[in-house]
Amino acid sequence: MEENSNKSVLQVEAVAPATAKFKIPVDSEQKATEFWLFSFVAPHMRAFHLSWFSFFCCFVSTFAAPPLLPVIRDNLNLSATDIGNAGIASVSGAVFARLAMGTACDLVGPRLASASLILLTTPAVYFTALINSPSSYLLVRFFTGFSLGSFVSTQFWMSSMFSPPKVGVANGIAGGWGNLGGGATQLIMPLVFDLIHHIGSTRFTAWRVAFFIPGLMQTFSAIAVLALGQDLPNGNYRKLEKAGDKHKDSFGKVFYNAVTNYRGWILALTYGYCFGVELTIDNIIAEYFYDKFDVNLRTAGMIAASFGMANIVSRPGGGWLSDLMSRRFGMRGRLWSLWVVQSIGGVLCIVLGKMHNLSAAVVVMLLFSCFVQAACGLTFGVVPFISRRSLGLISGMTGGGGNVGAVLTQLIFFKGSRYSKETGITLMGVMILACTLPITLIYFPQWGGILCGPRAKATAEDYYAAEWSEDEKERGYHSASVKFAENSVKEGGRRRENSPTVPVDETPSYV
Amino acid sequence: MAGLISSQATVLLLLMCCVGSSMAVFFSSLPKTLIVTASPTPGQALYAGVDQINVTWSLNQSLPAGADSAYKKVKLLLCYPPVSQADRPWRKTEDHLQKDKTCQFKMVVQPYGRATRGSYVYTIERSIPTGTYFVRAYALDADDTQVAYGQTTDAKKTANLFDVVGISGRHASLDIAAASFSAFAVVALVFFFMLEKRKGKK
Repeated sequence: MEENSNKSVLQVEAVAPATAKFKIPVDSEQKATEFWLFSFVAPHMRAFHLSWFSFFCCFVSTFAAPPLLPVIRDNLNLSATDIGNAGIASVSGAVFARLAMGTACDLVGPRLASASLILLTTPAVYFTALINSPSSYLLVRFFTGFSLGSFVSTQFWMSSMFSPPKVGVANGIAGGWGNLGGGATQLIMPLVFDLIHHIGSTRFTAWRVAFFIPGLMQTFSAIAVLALGQDLPNGNYRKLEKAGDKHKDSFGKVFYNAVTNYRGWILALTYGYCFGVELTIDNIIAEYFYDKFDVNLRTAGMIAASFGMANIVSRPGGGWLSDLMSRRFGMRGRLWSLWVVQSIGGVLCIVLGKMHNLSAAVVVMLLFSCFVQAACGLTFGVVPFISRRSLGLISGMTGGGGNVGAVLTQLIFFKGSRYSKETGITLMGVMILACTLPITLIYFPQWGGILCGPRAKATAEDYYAAEWSEDEKERGYHSASVKFAENSVKEGGRRRENSPTVPVDETPSYV
Repeated sequence: MAGLISSQATVLLLLMCCVGSSMAVFFSSLPKTLIVTASPTPGQALYAGVDQINVTWSLNQSLPAGADSAYKKVKLLLCYPPVSQADRPWRKTEDHLQKDKTCQFKMVVQPYGRATRGSYVYTIERSIPTGTYFVRAYALDADDTQVAYGQTTDAKKTANLFDVVGISGRHASLDIAAASFSAFAVVALVFFFMLEKRKGKK
């Protein structure tokens, strides 16, 4: 009898839900249903802090050169064309890096993927201290820019750790506080430069020494990710795969599933005109204010920084707005707010190029930054729902599309001397308006789109299960997708709360 | 944000005050009354921090007496000719002298005395960037406003130019530090990968 009771105790222990071990409340996928900003509890909030900070450091490094350009351009004898080309190079590397990271996250998990990328691009930052020609300048900016691929791992990690009602705000804050690096660096670099110059180095040495700061930040944030982070609430990919708890998917299937989903392509295009525009502005704004309004390096840096600093609240604000609209109007609310906010950003961009007064230009720039960054947050309120199986690659496509937008905009409007910078900014605004229209074409059968409502019998379960073949479904590979579908039931908005797909573990509240 | 806007407003106010106190001076309105010569031969390359330029300036003696009554000081500057300004809008020449970016490096300001001539030996500072240059002298009045000029080159700014080779700013210690930190980053990654493999095997 004792043996029997021992056995039954063991069995009960094995079956006990893993939810008991998390301090933060979780859903059936062990994803957090609450977001505690000032907490470091493992694994959810710790993952959040590790991912936004490491991404922040990548942004600091990638945009460390622009605020110091007035010194670097003299040291290296750069021409306007050299500077324009390097600016394009700095954001083009990440197009490929973001796609690759999407796949890497799907296959090996966000922790290893992001840390590898970040540590392997750190040498480019250190070597910036050694360059002495326009071509070496272009090369270091190109390779440093690859680190912006860690954006994808940030979004992927947040989408793996946070439940649908909180995924918008988690993605928004992680992305926003990361993008903040593009603003912070415009303050940090001139400050560090001034300090080192004051201590006694010449201008041409001081800027070189300054680059060790972003380099060291990047190195140590990546090591923290490796030492303290965890891919999924239940553990790391490798361990879970070995234990058979996670099915190891095939790259070909993940890839095909992602590229055949038209929604991913549309968001890739539109993200190019909120995030891509943000990257372009990060590259040109300090020099723009320095040359047009005759302010000094430190002031130009402060103004440029305030553009990026708006990210503290504006991108998370976008994510929060997305979640808010979803509670009331479901996915349609998310799409509507994205379209409206990004279009207003376009209008403000047009106006910015027409401002010839310093204070007016700063005010318009700040408003513009709020709307354009909120649009970024709103975009990633929609991305987690496009695909469950290829979440990483869709995030990568959207993120990569952001960088393509930055490359295109800098190529067309900010290379050489064809357009003055202010004309370029206005024309960029027009392009934002035009390239935001495709959002009206996104349609989810189960939730609707901007123009049309949902189809009568369509369900989230059908949509996500359709990503797997019958054979794979038989083997139960799609079980995570089914759980996700159940948890996304609220994307139907208030009217659809009483939908037929009631989560199995919850008792319906209206009974 | 309000703090930022109010500080910008203050800056704007100060700027307006400064502009208000000095009349707009246009380069095209300045008479070329000074003769300036510099020691470098045309096309010579000088090294920043090492080489020197010997500049002499004097009033053109064929001018009527009293032409220099307003001159109180002479300012010597290193300036960019068009060949150094190509595709570099931050060095653009503007007629309005307050907006002009042609001459970015001041060598010295000397008093204009009765001798109507002067000279200066300038050691090229280490902050002077690589480029082609010429020397210009502005005669300043009591308000420090430009009233006349002279330069070592012609009106087209193509003759009699010299080159400066700037310092690189690089140091052996920086090279070593960059290499070591890069190596550390890669080694740290490899270390964690090996740790993962070991954990996986268990």
